[in-house]
Amino acid sequence: MLRYTLTRGALLVAGLLVSSVIIFLTLRVLPGDVAQLIAGTQASAETVEALRQSLGLDRPLIVQYLEWIGGVLRGDLGTSQLSGASVSAELLEKAQVTAPLGLMALTIALLIAVPFGIVSAMLRGHAGGTAMSVSAQAVAAVPVIWAGMMLVVVFAHWLGWLPAQGFPRTGWATPGKALEALLLPALTIGLVEGAMLMRFVRSATLQAAGQDFVRTAAAKGLTRRRALVLHGIPAVGLSIVTVLGLQIAGIIVGSVVIEQLFTLPGIGRMLVADVGTRDLVKVQSELLVLTGFVLIIGFIVDLVHHAIDPRQREAA
Amino acid sequence: MFSFTRARQSGRVAAIALIATGALVLSACSSNAPEATPTATGAPDPDATLSVGLVLEPTNLDIRHTSGAALEQILVDNIYEGLVTRTQDNEIVERLASAYEISPDGLTYTFTLNDDITFHDGSELTSADVVASYKAVQSDAAVQGNAQFAGVDSIDAPDATTVVITLTEPDQNFLFTLTGPAGLVFAKGDKTDLKTAENGTGPFVLDRWTKGSSISFDRFDEYWGEQATVAEVVFHYIPDFTAGVNAALDGTLDVLTAVDPNLAPQLEETGEFVITTGRTTDKATLAFNNAQAPLDDVKVREALRLAIDHDALIDAVGAGQTLFGPIPELDPGYEDLSDVATYNPSRARELLAEAGHEELDLTLTIPSFYGTTAAQVLISDFAKVGVSLEVKRVEFATWLEDVYTNHDYELSFVLHVEPRDFGNWANPDYYFGYDNAEVQDLYTQALTETDAERSAELLAEAARLVSEDHAADWLYNGATLTALLPGVSGFPEDSINSRIDLAGVTKTAD
Repeated sequence: MLRYTLTRGALLVAGLLVSSVIIFLTLRVLPGDVAQLIAGTQASAETVEALRQSLGLDRPLIVQYLEWIGGVLRGDLGTSQLSGASVSAELLEKAQVTAPLGLMALTIALLIAVPFGIVSAMLRGHAGGTAMSVSAQAVAAVPVIWAGMMLVVVFAHWLGWLPAQGFPRTGWATPGKALEALLLPALTIGLVEGAMLMRFVRSATLQAAGQDFVRTAAAKGLTRRRALVLHGIPAVGLSIVTVLGLQIAGIIVGSVVIEQLFTLPGIGRMLVADVGTRDLVKVQSELLVLTGFVLIIGFIVDLVHHAIDPRQREAA
Repeated sequence: MFSFTRARQSGRVAAIALIATGALVLSACSSNAPEATPTATGAPDPDATLSVGLVLEPTNLDIRHTSGAALEQILVDNIYEGLVTRTQDNEIVERLASAYEISPDGLTYTFTLNDDITFHDGSELTSADVVASYKAVQSDAAVQGNAQFAGVDSIDAPDATTVVITLTEPDQNFLFTLTGPAGLVFAKGDKTDLKTAENGTGPFVLDRWTKGSSISFDRFDEYWGEQATVAEVVFHYIPDFTAGVNAALDGTLDVLTAVDPNLAPQLEETGEFVITTGRTTDKATLAFNNAQAPLDDVKVREALRLAIDHDALIDAVGAGQTLFGPIPELDPGYEDLSDVATYNPSRARELLAEAGHEELDLTLTIPSFYGTTAAQVLISDFAKVGVSLEVKRVEFATWLEDVYTNHDYELSFVLHVEPRDFGNWANPDYYFGYDNAEVQDLYTQALTETDAERSAELLAEAARLVSEDHAADWLYNGATLTALLPGVSGFPEDSINSRIDLAGVTKTAD
């Protein structure tokens, strides 16, 4: 187990370093830079150059990269070239919107996917099971932005139950209002992600039903259904944990789109704005944190999986 | 600078943006809806909080180094002040200075300061602070206004309440430059981080900036002049026009600026909002790359201008007025140049044929925060004369690199919001690629002319030349629509995409 952890940990660190290089270089391909944006359309070339120097944009790329990554390794994500604010402070501030949004979306996704996935697997061959499965296919194919607009039309415009956009200025000091503001966006992401996850749960359940240990349990006198519930479902749970990393990545991507649509001051909207203003140091750190988050979830999932799945232990 | 309409980024951008997106408001707005009658007749509430909806958020608060309408709009006159400022209709008036004098030769400017001016940190403002601020503009290329200070010879303070600035040659625009960011006064040796905090002299202090959401100001109780008439102002940044209207309708806002003309009826129908239409110096500029074929041919440029039905375009945009030259109505040197490029598609076809282009393919590069309306109209107008227009929507940063810096474009659209920016037409290195010695000469004469009226005449002459050369097309001069609840009064109407002076704005108790 220790050896596995160390190997897997080394892989995680290598993954982060490679990501950091890719992120850094990819962003350098974008046309335009922050100095031009600050200087605006009445500025002379001299002014832009002076700004570039003061921002350190005229130094070799390798120097800029090493300075940034060196800071990150010391736990300093840098400061925004535009606003002068600390990137980590702003990430924390925006996470107060994005993290609850993601958790709510994940909860909604699981509440949809697990029961419906299992039931539709058990009803396999029945009209009800087929209907569920077809609906899930359909919903999973819906672009998040379109789903969001539909929900706004129904719940905000027609019914007037929920706000169509924005987040209270008072933030979580008014938890009711804050939750209300996040409900529609979370529902949007949760529905689409949940439909995708449901298909996964369904096939995992069908797979589990065919496993030797379920068949053995059934042979010992349990009904197929009881055997599935007692022995199969835990195995399904394990499979869900393994795709959690992917799910979270999907939710992060979804939140970028959804925060734009609902004008939520979260990480996704900040990221889009920062790319637009070419505030590259900030974008680098933001992307690295998000990438690290997904990679670390994957790391934890693998370790947990390794620890509890008897077959994996034997393999090691 | 640009003005509002929706954008990302830097103030300028922002500004541009603002405008751009259609959010523009045009002055020729043709709404015949009855005006809402103010019903609230309560007395102004000195403890009121005023909520204002804006489109473009500043990227930082460092107005010394960062260009853009988004910063000027809220910071000038409210947080920071200069010796002079300008009114809604661009008249120059004293601010920190109680009086100023310009020598007859136009070279020496003598300012007398008001008494008892203090910065927000409590320190007293003296002429030394003015000198230090202006010397920074003069010597540091990274400070906004540095280029406009090129003709400054000396900046001195003979005593604590007097500042004397001498120029190497007269500059008709110099005093106007001082009404912008270049003229703002900062405390000498101040260590405040201007990107995130402030230490100005204005009637408001910065309370809180929640990035991506809002900025709030509190009244500064030790202000040297007339106290502000509301206790707090909250600027809500809502980039989406529909969302802005929703926020007004649900009671979040007292004032919504940059109302999308096509959405204004929604607010008017409620009977709760008064809509004002303000003038601006926003010039919706369809730039031609004068330095490159096929647009280096004046016949092609003229044909494109004659092909555009400006009245129909303004109807589509929803607000604004026609503009047939580079100088808008609010700036010195304006005259009606509609005779230069009257709508005439058949003449446009002839001109194209003469130029050897019965068929022509052109590309329009446009920052994506501007709405699609103007581009759609251009596509169909140009198609009628055999020009097929491809629209390339790009991020503003890309526009700056490709169009502004590298001049790599055929046609471009941005909203140039800055007042008195005619100098761009006298700058052969500007992205317009327009190089006309006569225009450059007239512009220089206009700047060094000490008589303001004569200066304006010279500018008008130069502007006519630019328009007769068809150096660009000015699709419209933007107007700006503002929706107000009846309890709000004293809110500015004109030029508010570059200035919102909150002095004297009142709100009744609900």
